[in-house]
Amino acid sequence: MDVVAVDISGRHEVNGRYYMLCAAVAARISARHLEKVYQVRQYPRATDTLGLREVSDLVFSATVGLSGLLLAERGDFYNIERWRVQSLLGREFKYPESLGERLAVELAHHISLSGRRLCSEWWRDGSREEEGYGIEGGYEACVQDDILGGLR
Amino acid sequence: MIKETSLPDVMESGDSSDAPDIRRAVLVVREERESDLGEEISEFRGLAVAAGYRVAGVIRQRRGRDSRFQVGRGKIEEALAYRADRIIFYNPLSPGQHYNIRQEFGFSAMDRFNLILEIFASRASSREAKLQVELARLSYEAPFVKRMVSQRKLSERAGFMGSGAYEESIYQDMRSRMAKIRETLKGVERSGAVRRNRRREQGFDLVALAGYTNAGKSTLLNALTGSDVLEKDQLFTTLSPTTRAISSDQDAAGRRVLLTDTVGFIDDLPHFFIKAFHSTLSEISCADLILLVADLSDPPNTLRRKMVTCHKVLWDCGATAPLITALNKVDLVPEGELECRMEAISDLVHQPILVSARDSIGLSDLAGRIKAALLPWREVEITLPNTPLGCGELSRLYRWAEPLCVEFGQDIRVRLRARDQVLDRLGLMAADPRGDRDRRCIDQD
Repeated sequence: MDVVAVDISGRHEVNGRYYMLCAAVAARISARHLEKVYQVRQYPRATDTLGLREVSDLVFSATVGLSGLLLAERGDFYNIERWRVQSLLGREFKYPESLGERLAVELAHHISLSGRRLCSEWWRDGSREEEGYGIEGGYEACVQDDILGGLR
Repeated sequence: MIKETSLPDVMESGDSSDAPDIRRAVLVVREERESDLGEEISEFRGLAVAAGYRVAGVIRQRRGRDSRFQVGRGKIEEALAYRADRIIFYNPLSPGQHYNIRQEFGFSAMDRFNLILEIFASRASSREAKLQVELARLSYEAPFVKRMVSQRKLSERAGFMGSGAYEESIYQDMRSRMAKIRETLKGVERSGAVRRNRRREQGFDLVALAGYTNAGKSTLLNALTGSDVLEKDQLFTTLSPTTRAISSDQDAAGRRVLLTDTVGFIDDLPHFFIKAFHSTLSEISCADLILLVADLSDPPNTLRRKMVTCHKVLWDCGATAPLITALNKVDLVPEGELECRMEAISDLVHQPILVSARDSIGLSDLAGRIKAALLPWREVEITLPNTPLGCGELSRLYRWAEPLCVEFGQDIRVRLRARDQVLDRLGLMAADPRGDRDRRCIDQD
């Protein structure tokens, strides 16, 4: 079964903003295993608020062009019903049930976590520091300069 | 608020006798607006029967959660009218709701989780099981006691004659008892790990039977091993792990396999419950192979729900071993229903095996699949001294490994196939400096 597992890291406020990164993993899974990973995509975004609209918009943007059944943890969509998420995203969606689906979401989780760390620590780079970026500034630069573009 | 109620349907459970020693219970279920808990309620009824209650009635209410009593006041009064020994709520009760119900109606309410604990407590026979049940109960009750203390403290006066200190000490006692039990269970877990290692060193492969409660795990164990472990058509018949060797007629083609029957899973278990039973579940998470048993005679939706629960518990207990799914009770599936049921769980099972433990259908296929899924043995050549001690070692190798070729000369040259743990042990013995234990272990892979 082809799936796209997504996970969002950074759903907490930092200096009044939310610096998030959505990881999308397009993979083929079985009931027990991840059979093959087709593509991994990271999509950073900073927002002022964190509502269902922002989350669904971020997930939608991160998964454009990736085919397969969308998978995400219940908490990512505030535990709302499956049909509501489907209507928000306009594509097939489900919460993970089998071990293989949970593995795919876990992989997306690790990618989003490490990707966000990479973004938020970008300011440590010498040139960025000279320009006076803070953690959030570095993240903004990361979003604007499309630093993760190479990973897509 | 949309409030929809149904009349209490007095449905007698299996045992309709009015024997005075059978306790009567009324089940109270609150359903959300879109949900349909038909299957869950029949399972809830089964739990009550398994705990030794006769179900006097089921009261259902369709509404949002009532913050004070979980269901509406009228429904609790309706339940009280049955004059049953117990009123059991399907939905979990918060400490505040427990307190409010006791204060308002004067009885101690019980929820589904408490019911499961009661079943476990009545069936726990080993010391380990008793400790696990006690830990789960304490983990469940600790927040209640804390809430009770804070409620009483609202009217407490500080200083002399204040009741707070004593109440606090109950909570502290519970915490320290929990810590003590956890420590003891860690010891049990360690000894379990030692036992598993020893069995692996002796050439056994460890296969754990896992699955939803009443799926037929014990029956399958009996069918595969020829033993007579207690099997019953009731929930949670098995609590403590039971291990038996697969009998020679079902032997997985030369591999010596130990099957371990474990406690069944059930829906909506709190995480602390799984944590309390960690030492039992480690029999699954540390096995070489997991044999997931499902009851194919269930309707498709129920079958799917139970399979999802099994996958969730396996995920929670950190199982990493290969998984084989055996769909049991295939003989009870009505004609033409098989494909529909397989379709319902197609994304949750991979190449399932259809078996009937009671009628011995598909058992040889299952044994073959177990053999294929187990880790392959490595082939090595070793040399033993041609002395009585070396011959004794050779006879042990016949039990632990699969000798392929034995040549007797000045030394005994043995080409054998064995699992890694056995080969490691042979390597250790080779390193043993004692007298005539001079042997080599040559890995040919």
